[in-house]
Amino acid sequence: MNHTVSDTSRARRLFVYIILILWAVISLFPVYWMLTFSLKTNTEIFGENVAGLPREWVWDNYVRAFHTGNMPRYFLNSLIVAISTIFITLAASVMATYAITRLHWKGRKRMNSFFMLGLTIPIHASIVPLYTTLAKLKLLDTLWALIIPYSAFSLAMGILVCTGFMGDIPYDLDEAAMLDGCGVWGTFFRVIVPLMKPAVATVGIYTFLQCWNELMFANVFINSDKWRTLPVGVQSLSGQYTTDWGPIGAALSIATIPTLLFYIFMSKKIQDSFIAGAVKG
Amino acid sequence: MKKPLQYKFNIFLFLLPALFLFIAVLIAPIIMSFYYSLTEWNGFTTPEFIGVKNYIELFTSRSINIPRALKNAFLLALLSCVIQLPFALWLALRLARPIKGKTALLSIYFMPVLISTVVIGQLWLKIYNPDYGILNVLLRSLGLDKWTQVWLGDKKTALGAAFVPILWQYVGYHMLLMYAGIKGVPVELTEAAMLDGCTPAQANRYIVIPYIRPILRVSVIFAITGSLKSFDLIYVLTNGGPSHVTEVPSTLMISMLFLRNRYGMGSAIAVMLIILCFFFAVLINMLFKEEK
Amino acid sequence: MKKILSLALALCMIVALFTVAPTVAAADDEVTLTLWSIATESDSSHQAFIDAIAAFEAAHPGVKIEHVTTENEAYKTKIKAAMSSGEGLPDIFFTWGMGFLGEFVNAGRVYCVDEEYADYQAELPEAMTVNVRYDGKMYGVPYTMSLITLYANMDLLAEVGYDEIPATYEDMIACCDALVAKGIIPFGVAGKEKWCLSEYVEPLVIKSVGGQALRDMYNGEASWNNEGVIKAIEAFQGMIDKGYFDPSANALSNDEVKNNFIQGKTAFYQNGSWNNKDIGEQAQFTVKAGTFPVLDESIPLYSMIGGPNNTLAVTESCEHKDLAVAAAFELARFMSDADYKSGANLPCWAADPDADVNDLIQVAADMASQAADMVLFGDNFLSADAANTYLDYIEMAWAGDVTPVEYVEGLDAELG
Repeated sequence: MNHTVSDTSRARRLFVYIILILWAVISLFPVYWMLTFSLKTNTEIFGENVAGLPREWVWDNYVRAFHTGNMPRYFLNSLIVAISTIFITLAASVMATYAITRLHWKGRKRMNSFFMLGLTIPIHASIVPLYTTLAKLKLLDTLWALIIPYSAFSLAMGILVCTGFMGDIPYDLDEAAMLDGCGVWGTFFRVIVPLMKPAVATVGIYTFLQCWNELMFANVFINSDKWRTLPVGVQSLSGQYTTDWGPIGAALSIATIPTLLFYIFMSKKIQDSFIAGAVKG
Repeated sequence: MKKPLQYKFNIFLFLLPALFLFIAVLIAPIIMSFYYSLTEWNGFTTPEFIGVKNYIELFTSRSINIPRALKNAFLLALLSCVIQLPFALWLALRLARPIKGKTALLSIYFMPVLISTVVIGQLWLKIYNPDYGILNVLLRSLGLDKWTQVWLGDKKTALGAAFVPILWQYVGYHMLLMYAGIKGVPVELTEAAMLDGCTPAQANRYIVIPYIRPILRVSVIFAITGSLKSFDLIYVLTNGGPSHVTEVPSTLMISMLFLRNRYGMGSAIAVMLIILCFFFAVLINMLFKEEK
Repeated sequence: MKKILSLALALCMIVALFTVAPTVAAADDEVTLTLWSIATESDSSHQAFIDAIAAFEAAHPGVKIEHVTTENEAYKTKIKAAMSSGEGLPDIFFTWGMGFLGEFVNAGRVYCVDEEYADYQAELPEAMTVNVRYDGKMYGVPYTMSLITLYANMDLLAEVGYDEIPATYEDMIACCDALVAKGIIPFGVAGKEKWCLSEYVEPLVIKSVGGQALRDMYNGEASWNNEGVIKAIEAFQGMIDKGYFDPSANALSNDEVKNNFIQGKTAFYQNGSWNNKDIGEQAQFTVKAGTFPVLDESIPLYSMIGGPNNTLAVTESCEHKDLAVAAAFELARFMSDADYKSGANLPCWAADPDADVNDLIQVAADMASQAADMVLFGDNFLSADAANTYLDYIEMAWAGDVTPVEYVEGLDAELG
């Protein structure tokens, strides 16, 4: 009897592993494919060697992708936008969440629902009024034209995630801090902020994703090549090389590799902060 | 209890940055969009007030066909909830347990989320390419020539083909969110349950899942509203075509605004979307609260 | 209400950003004109623009032209957003004639160049300015014109026994049938891009009803419910049913289709004459350019779709109108010549008769000079909303969602 149980559980475990690994392959495959075809000639991509490693490594594809567009510049712009947006979103949403969930006042529930409206608003719905205003403020064609809207649109998600995590912090803690005479700001900085680290990572990721991918605003609010962000750069490069897959693959790879390297390097840290959050909770 | 003025002022200060951004960038433009939705406006001349005519046309016009766009968005939301989220939860639960290669798997699953949507779209365009795409090449090499399709160009397969990358990309997104929640479950709770004779599956069912409700709520809201306003991948992959079968409300809105110069009608779609998303957000919140 | 809201919006932003002063360009003696165009690096007019700007700057010391290029589809969004807000507009912008420029003109955003035109009239014939005139007034400077051209791979045609592009409709059908029988795809088309479908439909229509009748339909002065239109759509759907078009068409972009033709995968490719340069330079086989045969014998063969189209215009908000208008005219004159000589497109301005141009552009120039009538592309002719409805119907006809009769009735109902 015992034997059978352990057999089925072993079989089940094997089954689980197969699914986990299969999904890993499915998740990785497009990236693998992109990296390989970025180094192939059209003849290899279009028939001889569709999915294998390149037989002849065509680094020239990368040279062409680098020379046609200004990929490093686009990348830097996207990075500046992302970091500024994350900083603004984090600061604003942790503060707002604290006021909404820990301080007592009439209408805080309503304030929360008000912010949650932001979750539901499609970012493109405000493009025309925003454009007019940004133009009046002479902010068009600067990175601010992206940072400000992106921060605003990331706020709702930031507050939502922060609310989830802040709920895990026992009320006793800040009540005790209050009794010790810390005051509202003292409690916020000494008790809440240190315990919000796990949320910081998550909010950071969400915000990063929202602004890293955005195409429409980046297209309309930025005119000059020097302030262009990655999605716009990649899209226009792909438009120029529709029939020449090698350079497209190279451009897509250039846009992707730094993020992936950063992620591989940081994923441990992100997990650590999750665990820290769990211990405190 | 009356609060001292200082306290109220502090609350205001805490809210100030968020409120500023929120009102200036979201609320005011939305109110302007609402006003525009009641006008006939080509974007250049003065908007002419026409009442709710845009809304009437929106729901009666055969050529705009908003019901089809809504149906597509709802279908995506449904698929998200019945395929994507349960699978993400399953992955998160598995990875939360001690398991070999967990760090690597977690990183791999999340990876598609980090890649720019434009890159994902371009990659899947290539995967679906009828002549050289890996999908048809694979089918041909397996001798399944009959199954090869013009995936994104055929009215029968385009919608499904466009949904696959969307669902695929965001599995890792929800998984990471849920994983973060599960890691927040106190170990003592699950350990105590196990000592009481619970199987891991039962512990998940009765301890972990109820504990991560707030996160699940976030995931569900996000999956549904995200589906209703989905745009980027559809835009890159099909832009609503062929023959509008993959149209979703956002692509309709963009074509009203920027192809047809119908800012009034585009704004009406925007307002409808906002209301719809808001309605679902409230509904989900209520459902989660009631079950409690 | 709109004003109060934008004011409130602006106020909020100012306060939120009070620490960040936007950088203001330092004023100096130099005048900088901004030019927006679609001539990105991969565009066949890219180099011509650079040369034209250099020539203008050399002739006008102290004036600089900042050239901002945006990819075609993104450009439309961008120029419309700028035109609609009236903010951040360039001084000179690239535009298409008729419907596209018309909406900006109606909004009062475009400067009328009637007066200045007098100086250039000798070089730019008035007939070339029809598509940039609104109520008789001229609002833009056209530089090149395009005609829908039928490109044929003569090597493939030779395989089925043709050494010329078939001259009659019956012969064309026989030729396509022979090609299909041999396993050669007759026509390449991008089903993904609706305007490419119209490049096949419009020649069929004009060669069935004639130029004036088509113009009247666009202008809303005649019904689409016309036997000739029905016959043209029947012919179009007949060609689809017989498998004349690439089965992968719906997944292809125009660039891919064009490349397929250049690679010798389709026998014909029908698109604008702006393809002359790429096809002439890249195709490794004998190419001939021509026009689709007539469906109705009473219609002249050279009833063409196309006309003067690529245009430079000056915004009303421009601060140095004299310079900008001069720049628009001089750039246009230069571009007309450069694009013609490079084989990229047909000139609107008087061309150098001794210019050594490639065969394809020569054929196009001959077709233009022999044209019995020229009607602009439907999606340029019509205003944005109507144009998209019109393209939707073409796509429905392509997909088999409407019969020819439903097509004409639908257009009458929705465009009327």
